[in-house]
Amino acid sequence: MSMLLTKRLARSLWRTKLRLSAVVFMVAVGVFAGISFGSYANAATILYDEIYDGEDGVNLADVWIDNPTGVWNSSASESICDSIDSQWPETDYFLESCEARLVLDGMMLTTDSKGSEKVIPAVWHGIDEGMVDKVWMPTYSDLSSGRIAQTSDEIVLDSHVAVDLDIDIGDEVEISAGYGKFSYEVVGIGFHPMHLYFATEGSTLPADAGTFATGYMTDSGLEKLANISSGSSNLILIDVKGTPDYDLQSTSDLNENPEMTKLVKDLSELMSDIDDSPVSVYDRSGVFSVEILRADAEGAANMYPYVTGMIAAIAGITIFLSLQRLIQSQAKEIAVLRTLGVPKKSIMPGYVIAPLVIGAIGSLIGTLLGIYLGAPGMLSFYESMIGLPIRLDTDFSLVFQIVSIAMLIVLFAGLRPAWQASRLQPLKVFRGQHEVKVSSRKMQVLTSKLPATVGLSIRSSLRKPVRVSFTFFAVGISMLLFGAMLFMMSSMEDSLLGGIEEKQSWDIQASVPIDGEASVIDWVEQNSGNYELMINFPIGLEDDSRELISYGLDSFSTVDEKSSMISVELLDGKIPISGSIPTQVLIDEGTSEFLNWDNGDEVTIMIGNTAQKVEISGITKGEISRTMYFHRAELSDLTGIQSTSILIQIPQGTSLDGLSDVTIGYSLKEDAIKTFETLLEQQQQFVQSIQFLGIVIAIAVLFNTLLMNLAERDTELATLRVLGAPMNKLGKMMFWEHLGIGLIGGILGAIFAYFGTVLLIGSQVQWAFYFTIEPQFAATFTIVGIIVGISVALTPIGMWRIKKMDLVDKVKDFSQ
Amino acid sequence: MFDMTLMKIAELQRHYDMTSGVVKALDGIDLDIEEGERIVLLGPSGSGKTTLLNCVAALDSPTGGTYTFGGKEVPRENSEEMTTFRRENIGYVFQFFNLLQDLTVLENILLIQELSGERNKERALELLTLVGLENEIDRFPAEISGGQQQRVAIARSLAKSPKLLLGDELTGNLDSKTSHMVMEVLVKACKSENITTIMVTHDEKLTNYATRVIRLDSGKIISDEKLDH
Repeated sequence: MSMLLTKRLARSLWRTKLRLSAVVFMVAVGVFAGISFGSYANAATILYDEIYDGEDGVNLADVWIDNPTGVWNSSASESICDSIDSQWPETDYFLESCEARLVLDGMMLTTDSKGSEKVIPAVWHGIDEGMVDKVWMPTYSDLSSGRIAQTSDEIVLDSHVAVDLDIDIGDEVEISAGYGKFSYEVVGIGFHPMHLYFATEGSTLPADAGTFATGYMTDSGLEKLANISSGSSNLILIDVKGTPDYDLQSTSDLNENPEMTKLVKDLSELMSDIDDSPVSVYDRSGVFSVEILRADAEGAANMYPYVTGMIAAIAGITIFLSLQRLIQSQAKEIAVLRTLGVPKKSIMPGYVIAPLVIGAIGSLIGTLLGIYLGAPGMLSFYESMIGLPIRLDTDFSLVFQIVSIAMLIVLFAGLRPAWQASRLQPLKVFRGQHEVKVSSRKMQVLTSKLPATVGLSIRSSLRKPVRVSFTFFAVGISMLLFGAMLFMMSSMEDSLLGGIEEKQSWDIQASVPIDGEASVIDWVEQNSGNYELMINFPIGLEDDSRELISYGLDSFSTVDEKSSMISVELLDGKIPISGSIPTQVLIDEGTSEFLNWDNGDEVTIMIGNTAQKVEISGITKGEISRTMYFHRAELSDLTGIQSTSILIQIPQGTSLDGLSDVTIGYSLKEDAIKTFETLLEQQQQFVQSIQFLGIVIAIAVLFNTLLMNLAERDTELATLRVLGAPMNKLGKMMFWEHLGIGLIGGILGAIFAYFGTVLLIGSQVQWAFYFTIEPQFAATFTIVGIIVGISVALTPIGMWRIKKMDLVDKVKDFSQ
Repeated sequence: MFDMTLMKIAELQRHYDMTSGVVKALDGIDLDIEEGERIVLLGPSGSGKTTLLNCVAALDSPTGGTYTFGGKEVPRENSEEMTTFRRENIGYVFQFFNLLQDLTVLENILLIQELSGERNKERALELLTLVGLENEIDRFPAEISGGQQQRVAIARSLAKSPKLLLGDELTGNLDSKTSHMVMEVLVKACKSENITTIMVTHDEKLTNYATRVIRLDSGKIISDEKLDH
């Protein structure tokens, strides 16, 4: 390989610095994004593993036995653990510990910014031995401090609450669990494995600041608060020796650990023998916080190679097109070199090395930016979103992986142009045959009736179909980055905000103590309100560890009718008919998708340990969690529960005084809306950054191609200018040409973005989080508008280029 | 008496300021050209032929002297006015034809008409018949020979009925037989349309088609001979 030839190529490339910088920029962005996303995925995965099973971790339980309908007294609790110990199923696993625990809904009383009393729904944990599901208080983070509760008037508050409500160690908090209010001293601030992802029960979104609280006290502390006898429990935590795998919800066709699934089933059967309560037995996949964080980290881990690949592919396409153009413009030089006897093998290496050098510079910039800016920024963003102290460790294997993806793509992008360069035929080049290509006859026929200016615009735009296709493809990918965010945000806003604003007409959702409905109903009636009773109950599946949330509703209505406080959006089928045999239910679209259940199917579900056949009368749309709707009376018959909450409508301005005395806790619809709005707002910055990136890349890609098109047409345009074509006519011609390219590119970009997003979301949806993308006119219009805007914005640049053209020089060129 | 003078050039200069000093590409050219003349400009490389042609075409702006066309001063320095002048008065034929490869023979002519303001297909067909290409109208430039391409270029240059047709080495890329054929066509077309022509060339044979031969050297006219053709 000749150094002089390489030097010549480097100088030629340097002449196209603007395009060169665009390519370097794109490679850098690809590597930057890959390292940023990848660092988050790695850090999150490592963090969760350390928290759950590390030496200083919480020792996450392996199996939970949940009693959602009541509380076991001391002797029942002890008896359950004894029975489990003595009748431990035949399995490869050995019982490490069985711990009974009390977990109750309640509320925390605080004051709002105006000084008025505010009631926050809460979950309180009474921890006795604390060998399993411990409170996590990492010393490396200032998000936690203090110690665990030791006496019955001490509490450890969850860090999310302490940060949101500005509570410190030593402060007193007033809380309740349905039977009066008590003050507790905050002795610690920490995290709990059930609430690492800090969301209210049944919600898939993190709770907004000051709308949800959790605290961890001694068992006696919670018993005192709830006025429950000592030793009571409603949750059994089972720890087996070692850290067995559990069944992942994201892989419904594959059971990661059949032995663990068998253990869950055996324990479920054992529970039905020793206790009448409709318990729910599940492994780690059934714990929402554990599942959603795992799914999130898994999603990020799956996503980052694609993000890097996508952006690097755009860079690859740009390199490919730029090199082809460079070779075309250097054809005569190459032909001279070949005529002078320079062998093919001396021509090719330079064109292979060039993209590698460009890739290496881009990768270096991207790596530095990723390590020092992207990864810390990403982790800090997620830390603020989910409130967990994520530690950043630079993972060089990740950097190597990302850079390798980028370099491989740029290498492949350079190979074909390099091969083409080495195979140029000098004679053809000197005769100009390498440039002259007979235009498409079909295209000529199609456009023959149009004015020659329009025909020329269309034909010259499509003269290089490979270039145009690659450009549209690259624009499509960059619009996928932009559009995915746009489609996702619009669909999310519709789904989340629309879900609560349009489908739900209650003002307050109050949790009621067992048989405590009458007092709440009295309160509602005294305040001239309306109410509907509701049951929320976890239901299981036959031979499947996953759970659904069942809703028992007093009355049903569709979103068009809105005659009940919760209405459903029917995708298929009809509202269940009360009293049908088997019981009719509605399931959500996600459940239908994951379980392959359809309208009219009769399916078996598990209520506690009892198998129950139900008929699906319809499928609903818009639920993020897996949901099954019953008539409340029928669900009540199956579960033995009258209600778990009461939906209340009250006249505007009604004081909530006295409601906290008759409920375990309550939440306001306005708080739920605020939560969604805050979440969407928090995402805005991140979303806008990605969108900005998409637009910048689209601009770079379109500019690159359109500038190449313009450069190639210098001779044409100069000829027309010499022959007297006025600037305004050439400008118009160029405008329509760019408008056409923009429209086609925009429409293709929007289609690409939509289907890409659907595929992307399709690959990311989990049992715990199901989401669909709806075609949005505004989003589609925005994408098309942006591409058209970018394309048309190039017209003045083209005009400027023509205006700057030295016609005397061009005429000289014509004669050479 | 009726004035047949198409253009008058007096003391025309085109000087370039270079680091090595002033280069006088044109150094005081005086030239009157009558309507219908067919002029061949001859001279060695660097004599100023092409610069003179560029100034006449209003592609380049002279640095001194006067240049009137049809009794009016020809614009200089203002790019759009110069373009308008070219559009209204000048036809140009290039050595390498410079046809638009994406347009057919006919469309190449229609394009110039459209850009000049009016599309006249009949006139375009008439011109193609004049240059003997009436059977090739739907072919792309790459599908016809070099001589045919140059004839299309001639027809294109006549499309907007210019008063003056300029040719820069227009047979430089053709063999002698084809050159002869192209020149025959050009002469025929220009006679029929009463168009004045100025052709820059190195080829002495082209003087056979000229009514006047002007020789340049070092930016000056060294001979100006009228021929009886």
